[in-house]
Amino acid sequence: MASEDEVSLLVIVVDVNPIWWGQQANREPQFTLSKCLDAVMVMGNSHLVMTRTNKLAIIASHCQESHFLYPCKLWKSGDGHGDENASTSGDGKYELLSVANDFIAEEIKNLMSRSKSEVKGNQTDTLLAGSLAKALCCILSTKMLTGQEMKSRILVVKAAEDCALQYMNFMNVIFAAQKQSILIDACVLDSDSGLLQQACDITGGLYLKIPQKIALAQYLLWVFLPDSDQRSQLVLPPPVHVDYRAACFCHRNLIEIGYVCSVCLSIFCNFSPICTTCETAFKIPLPQVVKSKKKKLKPST
Amino acid sequence: MAALSEEVLLVVKRVRQRKQDGTLYLMAERIAWGPEGKDRFTVSHLYADIRCQKISPDGKAKIQLQLVLHTGESTNLHFSNESTALKDRDAAKDLLQQLLPKFKKRANKELEEKNRMLQEDPVLFQLYKDLVVCQVISAEEFWANRLSINNVDHSLSNNKQEVGISAAFLADIRPQTDGCNGLRYNLTSDIIESIFRTYPAVKQKYGENVPHNMTEKEFWTRFFQSHYFHRDRINTGLQDIFSECAKQDEKGLKSMVFQGVKNPMVDLLSLEDKSLDEGYGSNSTAPSTSNTNKTVKENSNSAIIKRFNHHSTMVLAAGSGKKADAPNGQACETSSTDGNSRDSDFFQPPIKKVKIQDVIEYEDLHRENGKKTVALNLKKSDRYSHGPVPLLPQQYTTSQDIVNSVNCIKQEIASYKPCLTQVMSSSTASCAIAALSPGGVLMQALAQQAINQMVPNDVQGELKHLYTAAGELLRHFWSCFPVNTLFLEEKVVKMRSNLERFQMTKLRPFQEKVQRQYLSTNLTGHLEDMFQMAYNKFHAWQTRRMMRKT
Repeated sequence: MASEDEVSLLVIVVDVNPIWWGQQANREPQFTLSKCLDAVMVMGNSHLVMTRTNKLAIIASHCQESHFLYPCKLWKSGDGHGDENASTSGDGKYELLSVANDFIAEEIKNLMSRSKSEVKGNQTDTLLAGSLAKALCCILSTKMLTGQEMKSRILVVKAAEDCALQYMNFMNVIFAAQKQSILIDACVLDSDSGLLQQACDITGGLYLKIPQKIALAQYLLWVFLPDSDQRSQLVLPPPVHVDYRAACFCHRNLIEIGYVCSVCLSIFCNFSPICTTCETAFKIPLPQVVKSKKKKLKPST
Repeated sequence: MAALSEEVLLVVKRVRQRKQDGTLYLMAERIAWGPEGKDRFTVSHLYADIRCQKISPDGKAKIQLQLVLHTGESTNLHFSNESTALKDRDAAKDLLQQLLPKFKKRANKELEEKNRMLQEDPVLFQLYKDLVVCQVISAEEFWANRLSINNVDHSLSNNKQEVGISAAFLADIRPQTDGCNGLRYNLTSDIIESIFRTYPAVKQKYGENVPHNMTEKEFWTRFFQSHYFHRDRINTGLQDIFSECAKQDEKGLKSMVFQGVKNPMVDLLSLEDKSLDEGYGSNSTAPSTSNTNKTVKENSNSAIIKRFNHHSTMVLAAGSGKKADAPNGQACETSSTDGNSRDSDFFQPPIKKVKIQDVIEYEDLHRENGKKTVALNLKKSDRYSHGPVPLLPQQYTTSQDIVNSVNCIKQEIASYKPCLTQVMSSSTASCAIAALSPGGVLMQALAQQAINQMVPNDVQGELKHLYTAAGELLRHFWSCFPVNTLFLEEKVVKMRSNLERFQMTKLRPFQEKVQRQYLSTNLTGHLEDMFQMAYNKFHAWQTRRMMRKT
């Protein structure tokens, strides 16, 4: 039982890459972005309901921007504003939840209507690193506002593939999260993501690639709803084997055994006597060649 | 029989051992006893093996000497020569007393060292028990690699420090009145040594005169009588053998003054008694170093001061540990005790600089300069900021596809209404739960993880011991290759048999025990592989050797 004072903040980063989801609508009509958002909302509501002091934030990760679906900037402390919207849905729902849900729905509509159809070729990737950075900032600012002990984690619902260009930013975010003891969990819908595997391994979170997309809500509630203390008491999917191989500097291939320059620490897959990054020349002593005594053959006449 | 080159230190006849008459021989490294009439030794013990000796009490009729060995055995020797038995026994005892400690230290030290090592390191102790006690490997091989490391440390700590000279050694002699107008001087060997080291001229005289001309006692008596020793050296009789020493000292002092002090920071010549005006200080006349102007009192004062200075410089010179033969040598030393080089004449400015540096800087307060580093010159630093190429090929999307997808999504979301009561059907949910339960699709990896929970702790411990012992044996085996010498050849063969023996005596029973406990895991597979590898290598080497021979 968590103490009354402990605040637990969950930030859900949803990958709403319109290109992937648009194609997904053609591939699997029964599981579209709407369904995904529904599942995420269920997860968010459940988290808020678990403990009174729990907090929630949802970020939509688009290919053109990262936008906070919840909470709104206008909500300073996150409790007012009910009067204006006056969502008297009449079903007796907890007001916080209904307000939150309505807000999320509205924000995503705005976001999608804003998105430009003319998407350039190199802008088709989800801005995941940026969204994670925003999540970290949100956590930090909430920490400063509440001033209490806070446990926070980030849940990433990923749809599209990894973007290789975001590698460095991603790694920086991961290490920053590790330093702040923020868990990064990942729920991957389609293709395995090496970056997220590393993120989960380094920060201590859970990585799961779900076999059935339509059951997303169930997976989210079963695996990702409990926080880190409770997870040790449950039997959850075991961690995956993470590929930590380094990439060689010349071809950017992942290698297991390579050559490292002792001056600039750059990694190569083949040996070369001069490091191309720092231009240091290396002298490798050749192994001693033992001359074997050969029997002198008598010249045949 | 005794080796021809052994040195016999003592022979005692008429010594009985076990009721047999015989002769006792004490050699350089051992003690031996042979019966009368025979020319071989029946009893022979190395001094290193003897733990201690015991003698029978003085009142007893039988005069005996007992040697107790480390192993606990003892040998009794009865000295039966009527007249000289006691003397013989005491002579033998004294000699043994001198010799035993020399050998004792060496043997004990090694054993002590070994014991200490075994006690300090429980892993080593376990290894020792597994290998040596069970006779898989011999004790010498076990200690071969380990002892050598420690012996080096011991030799380093044996450097003796030289004893310095007390500056007051002459004053410490402290003559006592004899009662009737005489003086007793107590000279110990320490004082004598100090005198010799400080005043090599005296040592020279000693070497010349003793013991040819006079005895030691006479020499020292004369020394103390001579005015050389006493304060005022004004009257030096020609008969005094030490007058030469006095002259040498004067010469030495003069050359020292001439050389001066090489320390550029010290200007001794400016230390003069200057008086402000008449009546403010000492005499109005400028002091001169010429002896003629001075009064008698002044002369004696300056003589004392001169002697004190000379004495101090000699003590310092002797204490620096170098040999002082000639006055020139002494003068060199005094300058060297100041820390200057011998070529100081040529290098005056740098020395001064060094001195000033010395005084200004403190080593501890320096910033850590570290080693010399090479500047890092990166030509292509952007290489560091890229990650690996993703393994899966990127999907190519045409721009038309993109536009279509975006529009599709826009439409869909424009009419989005959250419908949270129909997120998923119950059947899908149960499928998901089934996949997440133990044994489900997502939980396969869990089943493989529990090996360290299934094997009991004592089995784990035994396995660890087996690995340490096997590792040690394999290390000995593999270090024999390449087999160059005869010794290595023998060792390789021995090690192979050791490995087999180990496998039989330790590995197989352990395996059977594990199997009996219904543990199906193959705990010893890796060990067996390692042994098999070693056997293969040995077999290959053996066949190659056979082929070479034929």
